[in-house]
Amino acid sequence: MSTTAAPVPGASREQLDRLEEHWGERPSLRAWLTTVDHKKIGRRYLVTAGLFFALAGLSALAMRTQLARPEAGLLSPQEYNQLFTMHGTAMIFLFATPMLFGFGNFLVPLLIGARDMAFPKLNALGYWIFLFAGLFMWASLPFGAAPNAGWFAYVPLTGQQQTPGLHMDVYSLGLLFLGIATAAGSINFIVTALKLRAPGMSLNRVPLFVWAIVATGFMVIFALPALNLDNAMLFLDRRFGTHFFDPEAGGNVLLWQHLFWIFGHPDVYIIVMPALGIVSAVLPAFTRRGVVGYVLVVFAIVAISIISFGVWVHHMFATGLPRLSYSFFSAASTIITIPSGIQIFAWLATMLLGRLVVRVPLLFVIGFIVTFVLGGFTGTMFALTVFDQQVTDSYFVVAHFHYVLVGGAVFPILAAVYYWLPKITGRMYHEGLGRWAFWLVFAGMHVTFFPMHLYGLFGMPRRVYTYPSEPGWDAWNLVSTVGSYLLAVGLLLVLAGVVHAIRRGRPAPPDPWGGDTLEWSTDSPPKPYNFAVLPQVHSLHPTWDESSRESMGAGAEADRVLADGRRTLLTSELDGRRERVVEMPASSWQPLLLALAMLLFFTAMLFAWYPVAAVAAVAVAGTVATWLWPPRRPERELGVSA
Amino acid sequence: MSAHPGPRARLAGGLLFWYAVLGGAVAWAVHLLAGWGVDELTCASGSDHIGGVPLRAAVGAAVALPALATVGALLAAVLLWRRTHLPSEGEDRSVGRGRLLAVVGVWSNLLFLTIIVLGGVALLVLPPCQR
Repeated sequence: MSTTAAPVPGASREQLDRLEEHWGERPSLRAWLTTVDHKKIGRRYLVTAGLFFALAGLSALAMRTQLARPEAGLLSPQEYNQLFTMHGTAMIFLFATPMLFGFGNFLVPLLIGARDMAFPKLNALGYWIFLFAGLFMWASLPFGAAPNAGWFAYVPLTGQQQTPGLHMDVYSLGLLFLGIATAAGSINFIVTALKLRAPGMSLNRVPLFVWAIVATGFMVIFALPALNLDNAMLFLDRRFGTHFFDPEAGGNVLLWQHLFWIFGHPDVYIIVMPALGIVSAVLPAFTRRGVVGYVLVVFAIVAISIISFGVWVHHMFATGLPRLSYSFFSAASTIITIPSGIQIFAWLATMLLGRLVVRVPLLFVIGFIVTFVLGGFTGTMFALTVFDQQVTDSYFVVAHFHYVLVGGAVFPILAAVYYWLPKITGRMYHEGLGRWAFWLVFAGMHVTFFPMHLYGLFGMPRRVYTYPSEPGWDAWNLVSTVGSYLLAVGLLLVLAGVVHAIRRGRPAPPDPWGGDTLEWSTDSPPKPYNFAVLPQVHSLHPTWDESSRESMGAGAEADRVLADGRRTLLTSELDGRRERVVEMPASSWQPLLLALAMLLFFTAMLFAWYPVAAVAAVAVAGTVATWLWPPRRPERELGVSA
Repeated sequence: MSAHPGPRARLAGGLLFWYAVLGGAVAWAVHLLAGWGVDELTCASGSDHIGGVPLRAAVGAAVALPALATVGALLAAVLLWRRTHLPSEGEDRSVGRGRLLAVVGVWSNLLFLTIIVLGGVALLVLPPCQR
């Protein structure tokens, strides 16, 4: 382990004091509720998403216990339906994406040498909405009113007649509410990465994690409207009797599926892409070299982001559309494996050509590669229409997507937890505990999900609360359940490792791994202003590059200190050329108030309290107007002569 | 070659640059939406003609034209790649960045061309409305 000393800042003591004065926050309840600091918001995303992950994981344990043997009676069909729907919905919408957005929030400004996100107040708003939307959905479970028709919510099953009660209203309103946070976060990532990069960071010097986050942001912006439209129409059909999905009144049942999967398949990559970026970020530190084929990995990120929008019909191969239509999507679904494969081979080549330092983050990266490749392999099988039609709605599909999502998201997330824990908390984790956690998670994951391929091929349907005793089903289901408990123990050890690090971990140096990106050139944890001197970037690996490091120390220039206010630098989108200095907003109540007004609106809509919803809508409009009202500026700034 | 091209030349150069990088992606999107949309909607209406044109020919046009546009983008990307191949003097960030995008353009145009061609092959072997 490197024991890098804290870098000597190129700023004077007085400048550091002024930076602290402008960016620092004295701990108080008010500061906690009004902060717009990207690091604090990022940490909150991580903790909140972790909490929702625990709830979704406990739901899974309950389901696996029910399925351990045939004809079990631990859960009623109604309870099982709510648990499996909330498990899927929470893992996709309330854990995977927000957890990766949490890392993005904490890391993107640090990776690009900026002092905050481009829109700090919008960032805070995104977090509060995410928290409230998650609570809005989970709170329905104790009342027996949680969504209960699967995370995909296919009509006509989800219509008012087939699924009465609040269940699917919670789903549609909850996802519409949450969508505001996801869209806001994505816009913020895109603008931050395009406009706030340190001078000199042209596109060919942007860290791969940032490329991945920006690609994800664009995918969200283009994919999310389809889901929002779908949910809005579902709510209108259920609550107000419209007929968007009713064929007898000119509607179309398949419209739901088309719109859902136009969002849903890019969403697989929305989840996986930042995780792949994490892998590209972690590898250089533990192979002592840059990722092989940087340009090709960038190409792969861009290509996957685009092609992911042209594969959605492979989720509908059993719906009876013309075969020629299928072929267009089958072609895209097959070809998308090429850029995915390029990334895998780039990482393997990096490990082959580098000098491996086998620490816990690298173990999780290796676990990711093994698991994700297996999931990708069965994914390629689904691209073939005839195979897909044979196994559709069986446990084979459940096995496939858990390999993709646990392999492609959970393993990289765990690698990221161990890799950036020293930066986030300022403390080192316990290596032995981390290794135990890895092996338990790895073994537990495969023992749980590999047998699902088998009993899926043996004909066991998915989405069933119990099953009759059949040859090949009973024993393998029991194995899956044992595996799920093993996996849970492994994840508990991860949690124990994090708590241990925070309470008893050794203080972390600024760069414990000898990493190559800018976050390692500042303190652990970083100061509120991130960098005393904004860096001037000279290469793709600025921390390994003498002139980039010097630009923050002896080579610091006054115009990169910016100590007279909450200020950061705006640069050009393509080449990172310096444009101008911008003032960043300070802490504010507006994000929290706006999110609360929205929570009131969605709650009122759920319970059909329409006058209250109208009042909440006025409160939302008022808060937005206050937020956007132009600030009073000095006359000098407005061009008025004295 | 002038060191400072005029605004029109800059605009044309910029458009050609982005055509080289993203042309294939846009062409593929048009191919997918036109090919799939025309096929599914026409077949759903119970016809195999669209405006008097046989469906196979209409879908064929939705394959051929985007494929040609992608070939054009590929050639432009190769040209861009060759231009940015020249050794840069000192540290010219825009050349390095241009080269990155040129490589992305070459490979992505090849990939999108492959997808469009595979869709075209399906058109040769499958009747447009077979379910």
